[in-house]
Amino acid sequence: MNRGILAPSARTLIVVAAAALAAAACSSTSSTTTTPPPATTSSAPSTTTVSTSQCGTKPGVAATGTPIALGGIVTDQPGTSFTDIANMANAYFACVNANGGINGHPIKYYIETEQTNPAQIAADAKQLVDTDHVVGIVGNTSIIECSIDSAYWQKLGYFIIDSGIAPECYSTSNSAAVNMGPRYSSDGAVQYALAQHVSKIVFDQSNVPGTGYIAAGPNALAAAASVPITDLTENVPISDADSVAIKEVDDAGPNGAVVLNFTPPEALVILQAAQKLGLEDRVKLWGCSTPCNTDFLAQSLGPKWNDKLFVNAELTPPDVTNTPTMNLYKAILKQYGSAVSGGIGSFSQMGFTEAEIAVHALESITSGTYTVATVNAAFEGVTDFNTGMLCQLWSYGNYALHIPNNEDYTVTPDNGKMVTAQGCTLISAVDPQIAQYRSAAGTAALAPAS
Amino acid sequence: MPPWPDFEPFIVSGLALGGVYALSGVGLVVLYRATGVLYLAFGAVGAMGALIAWSLTQAGAPGWTGWLACVAFAAAVTLGYGVVFGPALAARGPLVKAVATIGLTLVLYGLMDLLWTTSGGEARSITLPTDNSGFVVGQVQVNWTQVIALAAGVVITVATGAFLRYTKLGTAMRAMANDREITATLGVPVRRVEAAAWLGCGVLAGIAGLLLADLVALDATTLTFLVISSLAAVLIARLRSIALTFAAAIAVGLLHDLLTPITSVTNYRDMTPFVIAAVGLLVLSRHRVMAQSREEA
Amino acid sequence: MGRPQLIRWAVIAALLLFTLFGLPQLFSLYYIDSLTQVAVYSMVTLALGVLVGRVGLISLGQVAVLAIGAWVAARLLFATTQPYPLVLLEAGLVTMVAGTAIGLPALRLRGLYLALITLMLAGAITVVLATVNFPNGGHGFTGYNGALINIPPIRRPSVAGADPAYFRYSVLIAALMFLLVLAHIRTRPGRAWAAIRQSEPAALAAGINTWLYKLWAFALASFITGVAGGVLAGAVHYLYSIDFPTQDSIILLAVVLMGGAYSLWGAVVAALLYQFLPALLNNWGVSADWLTILFGLGVLQVLTTAPAGLADQVPKDLARLGRLLLRLRRPPAPRVPSQGGTA
Repeated sequence: MNRGILAPSARTLIVVAAAALAAAACSSTSSTTTTPPPATTSSAPSTTTVSTSQCGTKPGVAATGTPIALGGIVTDQPGTSFTDIANMANAYFACVNANGGINGHPIKYYIETEQTNPAQIAADAKQLVDTDHVVGIVGNTSIIECSIDSAYWQKLGYFIIDSGIAPECYSTSNSAAVNMGPRYSSDGAVQYALAQHVSKIVFDQSNVPGTGYIAAGPNALAAAASVPITDLTENVPISDADSVAIKEVDDAGPNGAVVLNFTPPEALVILQAAQKLGLEDRVKLWGCSTPCNTDFLAQSLGPKWNDKLFVNAELTPPDVTNTPTMNLYKAILKQYGSAVSGGIGSFSQMGFTEAEIAVHALESITSGTYTVATVNAAFEGVTDFNTGMLCQLWSYGNYALHIPNNEDYTVTPDNGKMVTAQGCTLISAVDPQIAQYRSAAGTAALAPAS
Repeated sequence: MPPWPDFEPFIVSGLALGGVYALSGVGLVVLYRATGVLYLAFGAVGAMGALIAWSLTQAGAPGWTGWLACVAFAAAVTLGYGVVFGPALAARGPLVKAVATIGLTLVLYGLMDLLWTTSGGEARSITLPTDNSGFVVGQVQVNWTQVIALAAGVVITVATGAFLRYTKLGTAMRAMANDREITATLGVPVRRVEAAAWLGCGVLAGIAGLLLADLVALDATTLTFLVISSLAAVLIARLRSIALTFAAAIAVGLLHDLLTPITSVTNYRDMTPFVIAAVGLLVLSRHRVMAQSREEA
Repeated sequence: MGRPQLIRWAVIAALLLFTLFGLPQLFSLYYIDSLTQVAVYSMVTLALGVLVGRVGLISLGQVAVLAIGAWVAARLLFATTQPYPLVLLEAGLVTMVAGTAIGLPALRLRGLYLALITLMLAGAITVVLATVNFPNGGHGFTGYNGALINIPPIRRPSVAGADPAYFRYSVLIAALMFLLVLAHIRTRPGRAWAAIRQSEPAALAAGINTWLYKLWAFALASFITGVAGGVLAGAVHYLYSIDFPTQDSIILLAVVLMGGAYSLWGAVVAALLYQFLPALLNNWGVSADWLTILFGLGVLQVLTTAPAGLADQVPKDLARLGRLLLRLRRPPAPRVPSQGGTA
């Protein structure tokens, strides 16, 4: 008779050890803290060598005071992982900590990951507040976190700086995003298609929470332009991309546009199926919301999609921009961003921008005390800040809702890279949410290119 | 109800989807007939092999080394699993053996997400040389990879069916799958036959994994849990007839895609494999009780 | 009741009191939230344990049944102002009817076929759920409004709004479900199930209406899972169809087998593995992928070496460890006739 993998006594010891570990851990107080990665000397020089010490106020002086605790919650599950955003924010904080900190105080950034489980997300928020005692929340990027925790953050007085996805990230008074999220990014893609005078729009998105809210924007835009629009949803992960592609193309017709709102792997599968079936030229153009804006996609798609696929880009294209801030971003990524798997791209850009705003706000606190009240008042007080990554100046402000990033680029693949097809264009106020925000906050001035 | 021409392109894509289900389903039934185990890790093993092939291609190696690595990996893992856990679970029922393969599936699934992360928005794909050439049927293009997948399904169905029935090794495999202990007492070299069965099935999983990664998506979640939909065809054939599995898979794929243009049901078309399996199984079992021998949880 | 029985009941009562009043003091809100999930899923693993361990019916569709229960509860909680216990009861009853209707034609199948057909039915329900969605305060039969900008939370009972209070509420409901199962096991259904599990033809020959008792098991399991769904709805406040994927039913069976399908304690162990262990590892900074790998290894380990699950094996292992330690402390006594029977 087989003894099996582990002899019984060994198994018992493991069980007892595990129980002891569990008992010890239950009394532990810290959650996932990422210790800022050690600075590595950059080997290959970039086009414009920029010293990362610009990120802080005292170059070369390590911060040694009492830490300022910040927190972030990001989704991390197979197929959808936003850890790059949090890790890049952490890299920025590491740079600041190595160059003076915030008035000598280092930032300690607690990252909680979740797998789209409401109970877990609610628990993560409580962990950050009750156990880690964070004074500010920066960098949240989650499919549903804004819906779950918005009331909790409001009750405690936190003003979140995030990269939003769920409706509440854009419709509540205490969340302001650096990106545009699926609805307004889809608005941008649809707007571009409408500007090319297509006769029909087919808007297809993944069947994750909020599809009705997301589709309402494109529907409003199409109705205002008197162009018929069909809303479709697909269960993800997609195992049958062929039928999806055929359905979309048939519905759009030769003078129509197919606009997609999917994560990169799903969008890639649909577009590749269209190409294999020989359908890519059967519609006037293809559009995609921001998740498609990655060089990975451009490389995988190939040359047939040059000037055929138009992707809405929420952030300034890094490859063609040579401003000091963009070069600082690339330098920090190289020196401190070893945990950022995607390298240069929209995820790390978002993380950089959110950290940048947070540091800017923290540096504006003159009292020297960093509590929930002072830090969040500073976050809410950010006004007309030039992040160097967006079309517009970024503001938080005291409004009922926040859509501070509402002007975007359109990019198209060009032999393995995404290049600009259209510069900064305002999202149309035909979308009622955009109209509501603009009536409260106005349109921010265009960010100067620096 | 849309007009007939609207359905035509979906016949083509439906056959292609049927080919996908057939590859997976036939592979599962062949494994079951040869080893007595419903190898639910079939998709995960193939997926990881395909990802290894992708990594090799990204590193600059020629395409065929990637394919070889994929098949070798799948064969090695499957052989390893079978040799270690086959004897250990031989006396347990088919359900326990199937649940044990879920253990392997979870291990591979976790490894795949650790090693091939999506945290930077990575979107990976595998292209085979046969992707870019094909022929036109009606309004859509059919590429040679899809034809190869269908043909592979047919070849595997015929060849393994004949192998299991007519060759000595095949018969020994079937006997072992049925009752390991009695087969051992008959003088059959069980360890060697077992190893041969698992090795062969591993090669099958690797080839299927590569084709599926090309035809469906190079995504760990999609490929790993594709087996659940493929189980429909497997169930209709009652885990016995390889040919029936093939036919049922084609039927399921066709029906799934033909429902696409019908707007009232298009959102529910992903239910097709499950509904067909449930209805089919209930209809087939209405005159007798269906069970396997010696089931113990 | 004899003395050992009384002692055992006293220990259980003490443990329950400690869980209700001691645990919320010891643990932070993060862990209380995860322990509430343990309470919810202990009912689900209990129901599956009844099916798998007591009757020998394998169901790979329990997560879909849980989703039905949660759906019914959420719909009622949004549409009516009924008291919470009534909503839970209604959710349990509706789910019981649905589960029995599903179980009815499947009862002709056994073993692997039964398991796979329940998986297929669960897959079908999951697709329907992805299209119909969970109620979120909208109107109409489905109660789902896809365009909502601010989604209202599912309410909790007025006496148990805060997290620690809701934790106690969930534990009490779970305790009631365990008592319900215990009542079944100690009386005629339990004996019939034991006979069926041993040998169905023999049970038939003995005059037991096997069909009725198997259906009863399905009904009981569905009722308990439906109630669990109701408690889940209040615990999470927001329900999404992506939280009930088909593959979770397979993992649920795996943890039930790991915890021990026969023992009632096994249900608690299974729920701890399924909900508490992930929370623990997440807090230690261990990626969720390592937990997936750990589960996989755990399934393999338990199925090959501990057929009755951890709940049965760990006490035996601990007893063995105890004897080992004793033998190390003093030399072995001369052989005397032992009383027989192991721990």
